[in-house]
Amino acid sequence: MTRGMLTYIGQRLLLIAFTVLVVSFVVFLGIHSLPGNTFVNERVRGASLALLLHEYGLDRPVLVQYWDFISHAVQGNFGVSIVNRGEAITPIVLRELSVSAELGGAALLLTIGMGVTFGVIAALRQNTWVDYSLTTFAIIGYSVPSFVIASLGVLIFGVWLFDVTGGAFYYPLTWDGTYGTVVELTVPAVALGLFTSSLVARITRASMLDVIHQDYVRTARAKGVKNRVVVVRHALRNALIPVTSVLGPLIISIITGSVVIENIFGIPGLGKEFINSILSHDYNVTVAVFTMYALLVGVANLAVDLTYTVIDPRIRY
Amino acid sequence: MAVVAAPRADQEFASSTLVREQASLWRDGLRRLRRNRLALISAVYLILLGLVAIVALFWTPYPTSAIGVAQIYSGPSGSHLLGADELGRDLLSRLMAGAQISLSVGLLSAAIVLGIGVVVGLTAGYFRGWVDGIISTVINIFYGIPALLVALLMVTVLGRSFTNVVIAISATVWMDVARLVRGQTLSLREREYVEAARASGARSGKILFGHILPNALGPIIVAVTFVIPSAILFEAFLSYLGVGIPPPTPTWGAIASEGVQALRLSPHILLFPSIALSLTLLAFNFLGDGLRDAFDPRQKR
Amino acid sequence: MRPHKLTIGGIGLSVLGLLGAAACGSTSSTTQGHTLAANQTLHFAVFNDFDTLDPGVSDLEVDSEIAQNVFDGPFRYDNNLKIIPDIATVVPTAANGGISADGLTYTIHLKQNVTFSNGDKVTSKDFLYSWNRAAALNGPYAASIFGPVVGFGAVQAAASAKPAGGVSTQQNIENQLAAGNSAFMMSGLTAPDAYTVKVQLASPAGFFLSALTLQATSGMIVDEKVVKNDPVNWWSKPSEFVGTGAYKMTEYIPHQDMKFVAVSNWWGTPKPVLTNVNVDIKASDTATQSTAIAAWEQGKYDLLGYGGSSSLPIADILRIHQSSSESSQLKLIPKGRTTWVSFMVNASYNPTTAAGDPFTGTSQAAIDLRKAFALSIDNKALANIVCDNLVCIPATGGLITKGLIGYAGDGTDPLAKFNAAQAKQLLQTAEQLNPSYTNMVQHLTYVYNQGGLNDGVAQFLQGDWQTNLGIHVSILGQTQPPFIGNRLKGDDVMSRDGWQFDYNHPQDWYDNLWGKAVLSANANTSGYDSPTYDSTLAMADKLPLDQALPLYNQLATELQTQAVYIPLYYSVGTFLIHPYVQGAGSTTQADYYWNGISILSH
Repeated sequence: MTRGMLTYIGQRLLLIAFTVLVVSFVVFLGIHSLPGNTFVNERVRGASLALLLHEYGLDRPVLVQYWDFISHAVQGNFGVSIVNRGEAITPIVLRELSVSAELGGAALLLTIGMGVTFGVIAALRQNTWVDYSLTTFAIIGYSVPSFVIASLGVLIFGVWLFDVTGGAFYYPLTWDGTYGTVVELTVPAVALGLFTSSLVARITRASMLDVIHQDYVRTARAKGVKNRVVVVRHALRNALIPVTSVLGPLIISIITGSVVIENIFGIPGLGKEFINSILSHDYNVTVAVFTMYALLVGVANLAVDLTYTVIDPRIRY
Repeated sequence: MAVVAAPRADQEFASSTLVREQASLWRDGLRRLRRNRLALISAVYLILLGLVAIVALFWTPYPTSAIGVAQIYSGPSGSHLLGADELGRDLLSRLMAGAQISLSVGLLSAAIVLGIGVVVGLTAGYFRGWVDGIISTVINIFYGIPALLVALLMVTVLGRSFTNVVIAISATVWMDVARLVRGQTLSLREREYVEAARASGARSGKILFGHILPNALGPIIVAVTFVIPSAILFEAFLSYLGVGIPPPTPTWGAIASEGVQALRLSPHILLFPSIALSLTLLAFNFLGDGLRDAFDPRQKR
Repeated sequence: MRPHKLTIGGIGLSVLGLLGAAACGSTSSTTQGHTLAANQTLHFAVFNDFDTLDPGVSDLEVDSEIAQNVFDGPFRYDNNLKIIPDIATVVPTAANGGISADGLTYTIHLKQNVTFSNGDKVTSKDFLYSWNRAAALNGPYAASIFGPVVGFGAVQAAASAKPAGGVSTQQNIENQLAAGNSAFMMSGLTAPDAYTVKVQLASPAGFFLSALTLQATSGMIVDEKVVKNDPVNWWSKPSEFVGTGAYKMTEYIPHQDMKFVAVSNWWGTPKPVLTNVNVDIKASDTATQSTAIAAWEQGKYDLLGYGGSSSLPIADILRIHQSSSESSQLKLIPKGRTTWVSFMVNASYNPTTAAGDPFTGTSQAAIDLRKAFALSIDNKALANIVCDNLVCIPATGGLITKGLIGYAGDGTDPLAKFNAAQAKQLLQTAEQLNPSYTNMVQHLTYVYNQGGLNDGVAQFLQGDWQTNLGIHVSILGQTQPPFIGNRLKGDDVMSRDGWQFDYNHPQDWYDNLWGKAVLSANANTSGYDSPTYDSTLAMADKLPLDQALPLYNQLATELQTQAVYIPLYYSVGTFLIHPYVQGAGSTTQADYYWNGISILSH
């Protein structure tokens, strides 16, 4: 690792930290600007309400509260939930992160695996029915919203094929150490990853077509190198560079999609927590989840950029 | 989704270097578009959808929010072609009204995004320096946060309404167009005719809107075309999650979300809005691809 | 749970004790010809995480339905909502000398064999500690329960002063009580001996015992030894979540589950048969609930609907209701919850009120206008379309839910009578009397909290007002936190309102929902208040129930004459219970206790 690269990584980390800070501040102000709070109800008003607000420090100026929040957050302590009164947020969010990561990871694997395979096959069989059907499939996958695919997944595998599947995947994933089984994971992961894998397939096909028409591939073929070897060793490696360039946005897309998918399948991940915490005004939880997302996206983008250097040695930082 | 379209917009369009003669460009483009059968079919579908939306302003088989005109949860029948929803409302009527909402959200958001994108992109690309630095940083920060979450939070803070949903969507998908316009401006401002205009003392505004913008128009239109399905999808997502345009407005996403709640009882409530939504997104994507091939021919997929 | 008097309890104890012992063994025993399963674990899901299970501050139904199996008070409700002894030996009455002739002194005698799950004995000292702590904490029910007790106000005042030196309010209460600071103790609460508690009221309160009996709230007995270790979060830790109930917690993972085991050699009756109770904690959205219902159908859950989660998604309920194999496992049990629409009738009631006309005032024009809006709603059709006639029934007998004390009888509420022609007529009269209404009614918004039946109800109301009055009313769905706060502040001209009764006594309704705040900061959404209302209520609250009822009925009539509300529906709870689960069910108020449940072999 060169000195320049270390500097680059350092700069990027600084930008991530800055982004996270800005995001946490804006979200904190935003969520605290919402009218009402979670404690108020027919029986909790006046003195009882004041007591609760004081107990959780919510009667202080919002900037003081933010300072309190952020100075603990940098030490990894997101404070306590006010909906689950007094529960520490960090362990909850970390558990939910692991669930979301499991689902997102499965979707990402599927995205790359399925997308690249389909893209390569379509390119190699250019202008045949295989190409056409895969391309059409990719466009459909690109256009049908993930919540539709997810709902259809529930309908097909959970309702119509209930006798076959026993509705196995229909159970929510759990995060008490027993991770979701392959069956439980497949349908949500497909629903989440289909959109991005269509995109990868389109990009792979296009760049693959570019590459196999280039001189060095033709030369390799002319020299009698086996087709499979040409594809794997020469063409695919170069064709994948454009794919890596969209990996960052792909990951963001998967994270975004997971909010919807988790809510459809009742998967207890970050996305579900995000919606729940917003609706119940659990201030610190919302900010914690949002901060986690910003951090996740930043780190994922950095990781993707760094993999460029591995895949394409011409890129240096 | 908008976020994914980003690199395409930035890296692929930015390299366009030809100065074309406007008239022939449009003529060639239209000719190429006519030859693209999928794009044509899509255009026809979208025009029909637009007509349906306009018709729905004046007439639907049943009033869109008339409760109990059919048996609740009943499936398609002669008098209710697409069946009824959980309150016994006619689904076809509601889907027709939903088309209106989806198209308005898509077109309005696209118009706003076009406005923001052009102003921000031109400013950053033309003035460069610290202006560009700040704008690019802001754009990067926006790219660093999942757009759906921002939109969700915005709608919650601003309150659920049609206007706020459009604002939230526009605020989270404007970056693609801005980045594209910036890239185009950066390359076009170095061109001879722009230099010439500048040397002859033309004002910045005249150069930007008289010389740079018209020449960048092709790629911009293509990019904006892709904003429409993004916005429609976003609106559906928000409605589906229960934070979009509030009832009784019958948006496709909201109807689908009602359908999911009755998935095992009457799947048609989910199926029909999903099909409508998917076809529409498909059509916009085909049309967008067609427009790109037609008006930005150097750009290969 | 049905605690009996000591003598009978002794018999029940030995018989059921044998049964329990056998059930725990590997062989199964029989009851009523059925075989008990070897594994006595009850598994169900709740669709809400707990706020807090600390009886001093808890409020949610999900909290109390769980905590009622962990904590006891002096009395409890049986399955017919009759007050029966729990830790106390008898329910005090004027006849048995437990209540003094002037109705001011209550004497409560305690059983001597009661222990906490950690083995600590329960004496009158625990009562003083628990009740003084609850009064000082001033939780949601403290004022309703201890408000009539001498010295409650003083404790409230002392405890609400913010303690110095960064000590939390809860910690401060513990410190002061431990130090014996009398400012933190209700002077009306005394203990003549280790097993007797005396409560002195400032003025007679006919509802005192009803309120005190409310499960899992301020009247419950907690153990100072564990509370003082962590005054805020003690309830979330198995080692410190200690009560006198038949079950104790062994695990709590927020958002995931809570697990309980039966307390061995528990002091009460009936002896628990279920050895374990596992509660999955799920989110409240429909998708999650539908998923859980699918899981129940596959036998993963033994029952659903327990733990304050008896409003299951209506589409699934309808589907199960229509299914030949499962419909018998669907139990529809009326819950004591009424839903109505409140008008803002008195904007000056609350200084922060933002809402105003057109519904304000007691003029004939205002009453006619309100009545027009009420009579234009067909609440029988509403129950049919929105509830499929399954999950609610039309509210035609007044605000107090059918089945509760104070219910006036089917069809007695004049505001519930749908009459479009009369409604239109009343609207015209009102507009003639007050021409400014014509413009005002064009800008109305009905505000409600999203979710459950509320979205459907709002759209139904909008339709009826449009059809029958020709008035377009906007509807605005809000999320829970701003909604309730805004509504109570008086920000809404028309809003969804409702009440789920706490204890079966009309005072629980009339004292909280209309008139001036008497005991607690009340939930008067409409701002309705009148001198007659306040004086009648004050009189009724002092009297024993049978003498008070006619007065409470007068209040109902007054609200109806003034057309303060639009009656909508009474809720019906949905429970899915597999046939092998014996003894599970629910009253209008709460789930049957866990220690009455057993699992048959299946």
